[in-house]
Amino acid sequence: MTTEAISKPFPARSVLATLAPKVAIVLLIAALFAVPRFVESTYALHMMILIFINIIVGSSWNILGGYTGQYSVGHSAYFGVGAYTVMMLLQFRQIAPWWGIWAGSLAALMVAVIIGSICFRLRGPYFVLASIAVAEIFRVTALNLKNVTNGAEGILVTEIPPLVIGGRVITDWFSKVPFYYVGLVFALLIVGVTWSVKKSKLGYYFQAIREDQDAAHSLGINLTFYKNVALGISAVFTALAGGLYGTYVGFIDPSTVLPLDLSVQIVMICIIGGIGTISGPVIGALVLVPLSEVLRSNMLTEWLIKAGVVNAESPIGLFMKEHLSQAHMLIYGVLVVIVILYMPRGILGFVSRFTTRRAGA
Amino acid sequence: MAILEIRHVSKFFGGLAANSDVSFDVPEGRIMGLIGPNGAGKTTLFNCMTGYYPPSRGEVIFDGRRMNGLKPDRVCKLGMARTWQKVRPLTNLPVLDNVMVGALCRTSSIRRARAMAHEQLRVVRLDHKASLLAGALPIGERKRLEVARVLATQPKLLLFDEVMGGLNPAESEEIIQLILEIRRTGVTQVVIEHDMKSIMRLSDRIVVLSSGEKLAEGSPREIVENPEVIEAYLGAEQ
Repeated sequence: MTTEAISKPFPARSVLATLAPKVAIVLLIAALFAVPRFVESTYALHMMILIFINIIVGSSWNILGGYTGQYSVGHSAYFGVGAYTVMMLLQFRQIAPWWGIWAGSLAALMVAVIIGSICFRLRGPYFVLASIAVAEIFRVTALNLKNVTNGAEGILVTEIPPLVIGGRVITDWFSKVPFYYVGLVFALLIVGVTWSVKKSKLGYYFQAIREDQDAAHSLGINLTFYKNVALGISAVFTALAGGLYGTYVGFIDPSTVLPLDLSVQIVMICIIGGIGTISGPVIGALVLVPLSEVLRSNMLTEWLIKAGVVNAESPIGLFMKEHLSQAHMLIYGVLVVIVILYMPRGILGFVSRFTTRRAGA
Repeated sequence: MAILEIRHVSKFFGGLAANSDVSFDVPEGRIMGLIGPNGAGKTTLFNCMTGYYPPSRGEVIFDGRRMNGLKPDRVCKLGMARTWQKVRPLTNLPVLDNVMVGALCRTSSIRRARAMAHEQLRVVRLDHKASLLAGALPIGERKRLEVARVLATQPKLLLFDEVMGGLNPAESEEIIQLILEIRRTGVTQVVIEHDMKSIMRLSDRIVVLSSGEKLAEGSPREIVENPEVIEAYLGAEQ
C-alpha cells in the first residue's frame, strides 16, 4: 500500500467544511487587529490587554502542564524574572523594553534550564511542591535584594524612550494601543506555537510523558530533555508576558509579579478553560479576566440592584455595596470550585460533551 | 551468535537478592523463554537489562555493547525494547498515536511515523481501531497495542513480560501467532510467561529462575524432564 493511502484513512470532507474554520480564524484575527481603530474606550482596550496577557501565560503553562503533565505551580517565577529584567533594564540602564523583553525571556530560559534539571528529578506532587518553593525563593529574593530590585518599594517606570517603526515615531505610552498590538501578536504567537508543537514530534513526546512516564522512557524518550524543552518554551513566553505586563502597568513589585496567587491564577486559566487543548487557555482567559473584573469592581451588586433583585436601601443591599468587592476572592474561589466539580475537563470539555453527544445521535 | 549476554548479574534490594549471579546467552533470531515461580526475579532481570535498575553486580552485554548504566531511552534507541507486565497504554491518546510515539524513536517525520504506525497496527490486526482512544480498548487489544508500539521502535531484541497474562485462550493464541510471526522477521525475543503450554510451544531455549537464581537452562524438552524444575514448580515429592 502507498503512503498516500495510509495517510488518508478517512473519507475526504467537503472543501467547504475544511475551509470554513480557516476562513473564520483569518477573519477573527483581522477583526482583532482592527479593534483599536474602532474602539475608543480605554477600559475596553485595557480589558483586552489583560485578556491577551492571560492567554499568553495560560497557553505557556498549558505546554508544560497541559501537554507534558508537569503541574508547575510556580510559573510566577518566570513571569517575575521577565518583568524584573525588563523593568530593571529600563529604569536603571535606560534600555528600551522592546530590547529588554528579549533579555527577560533569555533570563527566564536560563532559569528554567537550571530549575528544570533539578526539579524534574521529582514526580507528581513532589514536583508541584518544588515548583512552589522555587517561585517563593524568587519572591523573597526580590523582596530582600533591595539594592538591585528596590525590594518592596518596587520599580516605577518614569520614562519610556520613543520607538521608531517605519518612519513613525511612537511616544504616547499612555495610550493603550501599542500594548494592545504587542499583546495580540504575542498571544497569537503562543497559540501558533502550541498548535505547531502539538502537530510535531515534540507534541507526541510531551503527551506520552504526561500519560505514562515509564512507558515513554521505555519507548526511547529522554524524559529530562523533553521536560526541559517543554519548560523552556513555557518559561520564555511567560517571561514575555511578564515584560509586557511590567511595561504596560509601569510599576512592579514582588507582590504583583511574583506572588503565589499569580501562579495559581495561571493554572486556573487552563483548568477552567480546558487543560491540554489549544483553545482551552484562550477560553479560560476570556472567562476569568472579565469575571474577576466584575467581582472586583462590584459590578455584580450594581446589576442586582438595577435588576430590582436587591433593594439598594435594604440592609442586604447596603451590606453588598459595602463588602462584596472585598469578598471577590472568596466568590471567585467558590466559582472555581464549582467549575472543577461539575466540569472536570474545563469549559471546553463540558461544551464538547454536548456537541459530540448530539453528533452521535 | 549471542545478541544478548547476561553475565553474573545480581540485583540486591537491601539484603534481599532479587537476582543472584544469573548468567545466560540469548542466540540471535531465537525465542528464549524465561520462566519461574512468582518472585523468582524475572521482571527484575528485565528491569536490569533495560536500564530501569542498574545491576548491583555483573554485566549485560547487548549486541557487543555493555549496557550497564544506560538509561531506558538509550537502551531502546540501541534496539532492545520491552513490554510491561501490567500494560501501560497512553490512555488519553488514540491507538494510532500510541504506536506513532514508538515509531518516532526512529524518525522525526510525523508523516513517516504515521505510515510506520499503520503498518505495525496491521501486523497486530488493530488497524481498524486506529482512531479510538487507547483507554477504550479491552485488555486483549491493549496487549496487542503494546506489541505494535514496541515493534514500531524497530528493535533487534524484544523483551515480553507476560504478554499473555490475563488473556483468554483465543486471545493468547493470537499473541502466540504474533510472536511466531515476529520470529520470522529475524527479531530475537525473550518471553516471560506463566502458561507452560505456551512457553513450551514458543521457546527455542528456556531459562528457569527460582528465588533469584538460575535453576536450569535447556531446550523445552530438557526443561520439562528436569527434576529440579519439577520440584520448584510442584514441590518436592514426599
